[in-house]
Amino acid sequence: MIYFDNSATTFPKPAGVLRGVMDGIREYGGNPGRSGHRISLKTAEKVYSVRSVIGSFFKAEAENVIFTLNATHALNMAIKGIMENGGHIIISSLEHNSVSRPVIALADNKKCDYSIARVFPDDKSTIKEFEKLIRPDTKCICCTVASNVTGQILPYREIGRICREKGICFIGDCAQGAGVLPITLDEGFNFICTAGHKGLYGPTGTGLLISDGKFTLKTIIEGGTGATSGELTQTEFLPERLESGTINVCGIIGLGKGIEFIQKAGIDKIFSHESLLCNRFMKRLSSDKNIKLYRSGENFVPIVAFNLKNQHSQQVASALSDIGFALRGGLQCAAVAHSYLGTTEQGVVRFSPSFFNNTNQVDWLCDAILKISKGTKV
Amino acid sequence: MNTSNLIAMTSITYAIKAKKLLISKGYKCELTRTPKNLGSGCGYSIRVFNPVGEILPILKSAGISWKDYQNN
Repeated sequence: MIYFDNSATTFPKPAGVLRGVMDGIREYGGNPGRSGHRISLKTAEKVYSVRSVIGSFFKAEAENVIFTLNATHALNMAIKGIMENGGHIIISSLEHNSVSRPVIALADNKKCDYSIARVFPDDKSTIKEFEKLIRPDTKCICCTVASNVTGQILPYREIGRICREKGICFIGDCAQGAGVLPITLDEGFNFICTAGHKGLYGPTGTGLLISDGKFTLKTIIEGGTGATSGELTQTEFLPERLESGTINVCGIIGLGKGIEFIQKAGIDKIFSHESLLCNRFMKRLSSDKNIKLYRSGENFVPIVAFNLKNQHSQQVASALSDIGFALRGGLQCAAVAHSYLGTTEQGVVRFSPSFFNNTNQVDWLCDAILKISKGTKV
Repeated sequence: MNTSNLIAMTSITYAIKAKKLLISKGYKCELTRTPKNLGSGCGYSIRVFNPVGEILPILKSAGISWKDYQNN
């Protein structure tokens, strides 16, 4: 099987990640921050070292790096933590359900009001649209840095600048950007939410919520934090405030190794390699008039969405799976984005390479898609 | 230098951050559980071998908060 579904989760993982997870099981068996014996302290120091690596990577203080289960978990914590007491929030028309559903759930419970800013092919129009929707009670803008369907990169630096000027909290869904774009808190984010298991090459079950420390989040989960244990109310300081319950030590150590892999390879090099594969893929497929590519925008992360005329995307993805290619069809958990793209019925097939893919694999895939398009046996 | 002093930290994260900072500046520092007479709950302290008055300003300048201390 040749894997091109790296936007869902990267596979394979670097060898260091596997070793990191094994080390977690073998060497760091204590519960960090709990028991205080030597095994517990050794584990806590290891977790802190990963927190530091991640803090440096995203230009955050180590204590403002919060480990979560995934990007959805981080986004729910950030969105609900900011909007629980009401106000207006703006999201984009390219959001994943991990942003739109928590916002709509809050709105359905009359806890907040929301607007959806349309994303245009040109960044200037998109920025104007966001500015136009800002109201006196706008408390937060939460948007993806890059669509998980089309790969279009939003003008997040400009949106961050607007938020800073107006004192609006800016939450970035960086699930498709972290690891391929140089994303840091310096871009204007108050909160970076991302998966650990996608572009950061960590294990599944890892995610990150990274704060610049300017906004305090109301908690959506309370419990044991290993700190202030005699008090009945939740711990007030980070990261413990937002890390109730035992954290995923093995996953976190693996995630640290994933980030070390990226630092060693270089984000620019990873981005260039994967973009080259996307360009090759698009060039080959654009020769077939029955194939529609969804690429309108200025900048893209390495994702290409496509469809074959008159064939449902799931059918195409299934046919590709049968002959050894892993791609994702359907709606990619992005109802708002597909509604905007007009692809709710058909969905799209998504091609998303990783640093481990090569041009030969892309050529084999293109040959297969072109044959399916022509109705010839693959 | 043989007398040790305890500084009770707000969390294990800050305790480790403090320890790493002090060691990077050449101070001897160890992690330990906070004794009952210095705090409640499952807290962590750092054991230092210099006067607390010398250590606390270093922590403060790095934005590291503490709960209490015991100067021997």
